[in-house]
Amino acid sequence: MEYLIHLAILFVIYATLGVSLNLVVGYTGLLSVTHAAFYGIGAYTTAIFLTKSGVGFFSSLVSGIVIVVVISFLVGVVLSKFKGDYYALVTFGFNAIIFAVFLNWQNLTNGSLGVPGISRPELFGINFANNFNFLILALIFFVLVYFASRFIVNSSFGRVLKAIREDETAIAVFGYKTLSFKLVVFIISAAMAAVAGSLFASYITFIDPSSFQLTESMFILAIIILGGLGNLRGSILGALFLILLPEILRFVGFSSDIDAQMRQVVYGIILILLMLYRPQGLIGEYKL
Amino acid sequence: MGILPQLILNSIIAGAIYTLVALSFNLIYSTTKFFNLAHGVMAAIGGYAVFYFSKTLGLDIHIAIVLGVILTGFVGFGVDKFIYLQLRKRKASNMVLLVASLGVMTALQAIIAILFSSRFKTLSGNIDTQKIFTILGGVITQTQLVILLSAVLIMAGFVIFLYKTQFGKTVRAISDDEEVARIIGINTNKIIGYIFFIGSAVTGFTGILIGFDVGIEPTMGLSLLLKGVIASIVGGVGNIYGGVLGAFLLGFVENFGIWKISGEWKDAIAFALLIVFLIFRPRGIMNK
Repeated sequence: MEYLIHLAILFVIYATLGVSLNLVVGYTGLLSVTHAAFYGIGAYTTAIFLTKSGVGFFSSLVSGIVIVVVISFLVGVVLSKFKGDYYALVTFGFNAIIFAVFLNWQNLTNGSLGVPGISRPELFGINFANNFNFLILALIFFVLVYFASRFIVNSSFGRVLKAIREDETAIAVFGYKTLSFKLVVFIISAAMAAVAGSLFASYITFIDPSSFQLTESMFILAIIILGGLGNLRGSILGALFLILLPEILRFVGFSSDIDAQMRQVVYGIILILLMLYRPQGLIGEYKL
Repeated sequence: MGILPQLILNSIIAGAIYTLVALSFNLIYSTTKFFNLAHGVMAAIGGYAVFYFSKTLGLDIHIAIVLGVILTGFVGFGVDKFIYLQLRKRKASNMVLLVASLGVMTALQAIIAILFSSRFKTLSGNIDTQKIFTILGGVITQTQLVILLSAVLIMAGFVIFLYKTQFGKTVRAISDDEEVARIIGINTNKIIGYIFFIGSAVTGFTGILIGFDVGIEPTMGLSLLLKGVIASIVGGVGNIYGGVLGAFLLGFVENFGIWKISGEWKDAIAFALLIVFLIFRPRGIMNK
């Protein structure tokens, strides 16, 4: 039971990441592969605030969001100059740079050793050290992110995003400032990733840079591509599938080292088969 | 003098390795126009193939290298034939191909790790017996000299191949406009298959050289590929001399960048160089 709750919490965190990334990739058509950087900044802010100062979880969460908003604004401004392959490549670059900062800003992040001993939140007398309570907390944040995202994509703002995805020049001709639309959705998406990061840090109670590498961004991208781009429920489905996949493989009974690699093989093959036979993902509404 | 001569030598060696990756990436990118993430894994395949042929089967090292290069070429050819070609036939967008290549990269990398474990391995028999040369107070090993020489020879080979042969003309025709090339009767898919063979073989050879110089691990490909990509973009995509220039510029910037700070910043410095170039001179140094 305890283990199921653990899986459920991971699923909720990855669903949050997937839904938020879908806003940028699926709805706006920008292939961003830097989500783990914002996720990591959120996680590190919470970790550092909780271990090195007396502030509580929620202040650390809000600080994480503020920091991510500032950084994603700067990143977004640079990204606004690029399209297609180059856009993806520059997002790789930002992920690599932020990862290097986590790894090398020794005084603050403790380098590759990571930050241990992050405390679980406590609020209104409820102690979230209990995993079940923590799951509820994570779920509450996920529901907030999900409904915010749904509100965004169904609003007139969201319709402009989809128009940008289909034909940016055409919508620009109608007088929409596409650059600011792309920037705003990028920032919102990054801020949501920061929330997931805060939850992750305080749930696992230990973080190190390896959780926020480029490969993690690719994993989140795989979640939303599998579930389907341009469909928020698809991202939930994708997260569910990719979090449960290792558990399914566990029944096959490989040794633990091979097990981890087998998972990568399966997930690589899934991506290839999807691109060949179903590029829009399971329930997606947009093909890359 | 101090550390300066060694830094210069290190930069030149890094530049030589990036040259090889940049040239082969450039060749494939300019004909297929999609960002092949799986290109870097070919380096790992080459390295591990030589490891298998020479250390497990006990073949002569020279034969092992030749077999390794050919095998890598065939892997690249096969990936194109069974995956990328099928996608091109379906008129898949470049983004679909990019995601498919992410799948190929993930799967191949994990298969190597299953076959050989993910531990770091070296191809050279005994480091101590390697000849060492001293140039102006800097040290260079025999392997590194071979790397330099190979880079020069392969670059010359590329120039001759692309500008002096009928086959090279065909390749350039496809780079200019695949549609037109097909209309005038060039079997573009066949040529692209050969291109994948050549490009992958060159990268496989690079991986083998790296295996003798520092060592191999299954995940070595991605960062190597990104360096090659950065080098070719900085130099000018599709331009051989530009790729070489970009590679050496990157080698110098990286190695001098970490003169006073930790070596783990290398990747961040490389991407910073890329982003600066993409903002201020997106067509690269050499392209008009």
